[in-house]
Amino acid sequence: MPAYKLTYFNARGRAEPIRLLFAAAGIKYEDVRIEGADWPALKPKTPMGHLPILEVDGATLCESTAIARFVAKRAGMVGKDDLEEAKADMIVDGVKEVFRKLLTMFFEKDESKKEELKKDVFEKTLPECLRSFGKLANPSGYFVGDSLSWADVEFYNLMEMVRPSFPGDLLKDNANLAKVIANVGGNPAIAKWIKERPESAF
Amino acid sequence: MPAYKLTYFNARGRAEPIRLLFAAAGIKYEDVRIEGADWPALKPKTPMGHLPILEVDGTTLCESTTIARFVAKRAGMVGKDDLEEAKADMIVDGVKEVFRKLLTMFFEKDESKKEELKKDVFENTLPECLRSFGKLANPSGYFVGDSLSWADVEFYNLMEMVRPSFPGDLLKDNANLSKVIANVGGNPAIAKWIKERPESAF
Repeated sequence: MPAYKLTYFNARGRAEPIRLLFAAAGIKYEDVRIEGADWPALKPKTPMGHLPILEVDGATLCESTAIARFVAKRAGMVGKDDLEEAKADMIVDGVKEVFRKLLTMFFEKDESKKEELKKDVFEKTLPECLRSFGKLANPSGYFVGDSLSWADVEFYNLMEMVRPSFPGDLLKDNANLAKVIANVGGNPAIAKWIKERPESAF
Repeated sequence: MPAYKLTYFNARGRAEPIRLLFAAAGIKYEDVRIEGADWPALKPKTPMGHLPILEVDGTTLCESTTIARFVAKRAGMVGKDDLEEAKADMIVDGVKEVFRKLLTMFFEKDESKKEELKKDVFENTLPECLRSFGKLANPSGYFVGDSLSWADVEFYNLMEMVRPSFPGDLLKDNANLSKVIANVGGNPAIAKWIKERPESAF
């Protein structure tokens, strides 16, 4: 029985999809959250100088997407063949592109530049993404096959991140994506984790 | 025998790792290069509005990293188990982070901002990346196991992109990474492709 140790800051941030996947799969893991002050000492011990990292079977993995894919594979949530796996991968790549634009927006210090970025995300990035994704999800609310995959979970997590900055029903004309959200949010293990997880600012 | 059709612009750009992998694996594919003027008509037919795309087995995949991973799997170049696959994934994620910073630098129009970005890549991004990667590659010059994987190929392609902006031997104190470059560049099928591939500006 392998031991999994996930290390990140006390935040949902880049680690939350991984935690959601562990929950969905019912896989036990150590959910380590470090203080900012402890990061400089830990940084040189990580493979690439950033978090999250996952320690498992004597190896240390980094890069949140790589870790999430690894956990999803162990959970049987990647799709049933290499084409389905690739479809899940491309959805997640698309999710991460939006995620990066959100982060750039969040971290922009110049207020007028920030407003510009926010406008671009709301008027272009998000609608284009949701339009494409709506055609890639099926009417049962799954991106891949007929059961929950990590692509659905990553999309759900993205929408959770988006909502505080862009309230309102972004999915009101997007039945497939609304169903994806319902499938993920309605998964009992995921719902339980969301209810019980530690509070954090982001 | 599946038919593979890769579509991109006439450029190495985001498609070249895929082409290198097809070459290394000896897998035949249609290497379609479109003119810029033809892009607006094609764009709405792509899954997410960008290139490259790969059409195979009646499906269309997008996102260059996803496509490269898919081809690498079919080529047996992803690693022998899920931990090795994750290690290759994290290397490639790291490569893409540097790639994105290079692109931001290339496309910056403000000359003084561009110089700033170039300085940051040269003094921070690249050295930190090469330092981490040097510890993750083994002395035989492979990131994963003891044979060529897509992680080695993606790293090789990154260094090809870096070199015009940052000439000089960036790997002179990095024996492991020099060996990775030698392994990829010395692979006969890859060397043949590099010699014979269409010329393009980038």
